[in-house]
Amino acid sequence: MATLSFRGVQKSYVSGTGARRGSGEGVTHVLHRVDLEVGDGEFIALVGPSGCGKSTLLRCVAGLEEISAGDLHIGPRRVNDIAPKDRDVAMVFQSYALYPHLSVKENMAFALRLQRHPETESRVAEAAEMLGLTPLLARLPKELSGGQRQRVAMGRAIVRRPSVFLFDEPLSNLDAALRQQMRVELRRRHQLLRTTTLYVTHDQVEALTLADRIVVLNAGVVQQVGTPDELYFDPANRFVAGFIGSPTMNFVEHVPGCVRGEVVGVRPNDVEVGSGEIVATVEFVERLGFEAMVHLRVGEETLMARVEGEAPSPGAKVGVRFSRSYRFEKATGARVREPA
Amino acid sequence: MIVALWAAFVAPAHATDITLWHAWRGEERTVLESVTDDYQKAHPGDHIELTFVPYEGLKSKIEAAVPRGNGPDLFIYAHENLDDWVATGVVRPVGQVDSDRSQVDLAHRSTIPRVFGDPANRALTVLRDGHSVIYGWPLATKCLALFYNKALVAHPPENTDDLVYLADTLRDDPVHPTRWGFAWDATSAYEDAAWMHGFGGGVFAQDGRTIALDTPENRAAFGFIQQLAGLGPAETSGSLITQLFNEGKVAMVLNGPWFLGEITPKEQGGPDFGVTMLPLVSDAGLPAAPYMTVDALFLAGGPAPEAAAKEALARDFAAYLQSEDVVVRRIREGHQLAVIPPDGGPSDHIVIITTEGPVDGGITAPTAALYSDPVLRGFINPNALPMPTTPAFAQTWEPLARALRRLVRGAATPEQAAAEAQTTWEVVSRPEAPTVDGTPFAALLALGLLAGGLVATQRMYSAKAWKHWREYLWIAPGGLAVVLLVVAPFLVGASVSLFEVAGSASDGSWRFVGLSHFTDILLDRDFPLTNASTRALSFWYTLVVTLVWTLCNVVLHVTLGVFLAMMLREPWVKLRSVFRALLILPWAVPNYITALAWKGMFHQQFGAINALLGLVGVAPVSWFASWTTAFAANVATNTWLGFPFMMVVTLGALQSVPREVEEAAEMDGATGWQKFRLVTLPLLQPALLPAVILGSVWTFNMFNVIYLVSGGEPDGSTDILVSQAYKWAFTRGHHYGYGAAYAVIIFGVMIVQSRVLNRLAGRKVV
Repeated sequence: MATLSFRGVQKSYVSGTGARRGSGEGVTHVLHRVDLEVGDGEFIALVGPSGCGKSTLLRCVAGLEEISAGDLHIGPRRVNDIAPKDRDVAMVFQSYALYPHLSVKENMAFALRLQRHPETESRVAEAAEMLGLTPLLARLPKELSGGQRQRVAMGRAIVRRPSVFLFDEPLSNLDAALRQQMRVELRRRHQLLRTTTLYVTHDQVEALTLADRIVVLNAGVVQQVGTPDELYFDPANRFVAGFIGSPTMNFVEHVPGCVRGEVVGVRPNDVEVGSGEIVATVEFVERLGFEAMVHLRVGEETLMARVEGEAPSPGAKVGVRFSRSYRFEKATGARVREPA
Repeated sequence: MIVALWAAFVAPAHATDITLWHAWRGEERTVLESVTDDYQKAHPGDHIELTFVPYEGLKSKIEAAVPRGNGPDLFIYAHENLDDWVATGVVRPVGQVDSDRSQVDLAHRSTIPRVFGDPANRALTVLRDGHSVIYGWPLATKCLALFYNKALVAHPPENTDDLVYLADTLRDDPVHPTRWGFAWDATSAYEDAAWMHGFGGGVFAQDGRTIALDTPENRAAFGFIQQLAGLGPAETSGSLITQLFNEGKVAMVLNGPWFLGEITPKEQGGPDFGVTMLPLVSDAGLPAAPYMTVDALFLAGGPAPEAAAKEALARDFAAYLQSEDVVVRRIREGHQLAVIPPDGGPSDHIVIITTEGPVDGGITAPTAALYSDPVLRGFINPNALPMPTTPAFAQTWEPLARALRRLVRGAATPEQAAAEAQTTWEVVSRPEAPTVDGTPFAALLALGLLAGGLVATQRMYSAKAWKHWREYLWIAPGGLAVVLLVVAPFLVGASVSLFEVAGSASDGSWRFVGLSHFTDILLDRDFPLTNASTRALSFWYTLVVTLVWTLCNVVLHVTLGVFLAMMLREPWVKLRSVFRALLILPWAVPNYITALAWKGMFHQQFGAINALLGLVGVAPVSWFASWTTAFAANVATNTWLGFPFMMVVTLGALQSVPREVEEAAEMDGATGWQKFRLVTLPLLQPALLPAVILGSVWTFNMFNVIYLVSGGEPDGSTDILVSQAYKWAFTRGHHYGYGAAYAVIIFGVMIVQSRVLNRLAGRKVV
């Protein structure tokens, strides 16, 4: 059990070769001054689009990538220069990275055997029982299904009882039903073990359902850190507002109340169709059973609304109003808050 | 080219057209073509077709074409294969001498040289059914002479006392010399034969037929060789001697006319040199007599000549080539050591060496005048002995070379060396296996074929293979190629192991001896392990050496290859692609070139390795004098050749090892070594095992390295099975059957080895 603290952590690569080296052009910043304090036992999700640096951040914690600047502490220890094997962190890889030549049991016991740990057998048995792997212990990874492999990868991390768990998109290779089931299991497991956890995902549903707090990253810069509710209801900028929430937020300018140089953001849930000062044309309707997504056109802009029950027919002109909206600076994307 | 060859084979069958194949080049060729033109001008009705065939291919072309009637009517070649050719009918007699060798068959008198004391003529005389029969007309000779650097030697030595004195005093430093007085290939039986003859010894006993190597004369010669070799550079070889002589680092060398082309011209800083006869051996008072090889014009054998006119023309042309005018032109324009004709030529000429020794050693003035070029004159040696061509003689090369190597290395006294040469010869010219009745074998073979055929037919029938005849048709060309190129040669080779080629009679016939070669080899009948001096010839000894050799190599190849591949993956190694290319390079160089380069690097005095060791104060190692160092030299060379393959295989296999799995091991607390041993290596194993199997097969049969680096030294103890098989078949006389039996046994060993390795590969590794 440990806290994690990032202080001005940076990661940059020198890319290119030969003539360009050292010219400055070749330096790519993957992480910009990341500051983050993770409490003991906290479950933190790292989300962001592909290439935003979330996996790199995780690998920095694991020690698989060196940190270019800043300090990283696990508990009281500064770990910048400590080898992965001495950091007491366990990682579950997206590909699971099971040892293909070892059985399930040997995979799970690998770390403990290296330490000649006296409780190897009992811990492996316990973890196998917990994950329902007991009947599979003698099998090789290639003889397992995707979900089973995922659980072996988890088991391999669990038996070590590390102070920090790192997950790198652990569920992305599973089908939708299995993913949901594993999500629930993960949550339950965390409530049981209470190990500090960093969880990288590109799936905001996973982040919203699992995490105590979510870190939104974009292009190596932390956009916002907060609880799922904070991110959803009080996004710090246009990026977070657009990234969190499904279906995504509408951004429109040519509506009443919108100041020049600003953009108004409104979630489809907050678009009321039927009456209102904005006149829109219904372009088409996506029916999703109980609810429907109504695609509207307002002048040059489009707007999506979520309605329950009856939906207007395509071509109809309807009145629209926003029950809740957010304002952002058009140039920077920063949130414009109403004066308190 | 095919058309040209075809045209050469089916020359127009005009009665007075004859063809002549030769391999003379440069000035020799120009003169031959010019005098042939002159001959045709003088004989307008006749046509002589000259066909130049490169030397490397001439022998095999003649041996293939003549017996089938496709060959030339005449050809020019060295006399060294004469016995074989007579036995197989490649050549026809041109004359006959009665037993006292004084009279020529009168029928051929006009065209046959009459002086049979002349060594060149003796070289072409073969004893057949009690008669001395002459095959071919001698044209030119080659023998060893003494080359001396005029800047260092004012007067070449006249006798061996002078030679030893010069060899001693011309050295610049008696302890660590960098310049020597005299060098020759002291371990070459061909070169040392000159000294043996000079001491009155030689390969044959007085009867001229029995092999007698352990004689007082030869012992004396061996003593002299040992003394003289001690005054020269160590581990001499042809290329080393050339280099030293060109650099002025050795004052005198023993060499043949072929050396002229290797000497750097004076204008390019080469030595100002002279050539002269070998000196007189002071102790015996006899001249040191080198072997002589004779380039002769041979009358091709084969199917009976279709027209007497052809043979008459051939004989007339031969006489023309030996006529005085042509001889003079060959000497003056072609710079040949032309054999001077007995009649028509300068009558007061040379020689005469008989079995009792030289009768008259001098060259008379007219002959000397004929040879106006002093260098060419230096090669005239009336004492030279025609090189014998009998199989028994051919079997003495290796025993003598082996004894000489031990002698020169100081591992044997002259007495021991002579005795060993004789014993080894006796062992190597092993008694022929008794003839065995082939009937049971033939019956067994027939039964086996019948049973095999039945089983095959039945299988094919039950598997309904005939239903797929179209598919089989498609693979038929490939299958046929495999049968012709792999199966057939294998079967022929394997059946040779059941025969013995008839030895000294050399009539080329084969006798069926059953499995006796196999029992001889496997039971070590002739060279038991308990006999230290011939132990290295034992099959079991060689097998153990081969297995140790294979094991050492494969372990080193894999270790080094995997290590380098892992290094090439490290991100901190810069210029990885450059290193990768450099490290693959040893593989890209043909292995015999590498082997020769390493052989040079292991030279005791001039090798790079001893030079490097010298920098750290290690005394020069004589690498090929002891088993351990010679074996190590072989292994080092082959490791250099072999690791790139393992490295490339590993580099490829590493591509398929997921980086994340290794990272997982890192996270799990594995050290670098644990990560490699417990994760990376097991994952490389599926790719490495086949490579190891291949590598061990290649190494097991790595003939080139053994043959070129250690050559089996010391005393054949570093030979492996395949080099042993080669030596039995080709350098210890023609024990083809015995060699083939070795090859079959090697095949068996390989099958066992690959089965064992396959089983290892198939085992599930935890």
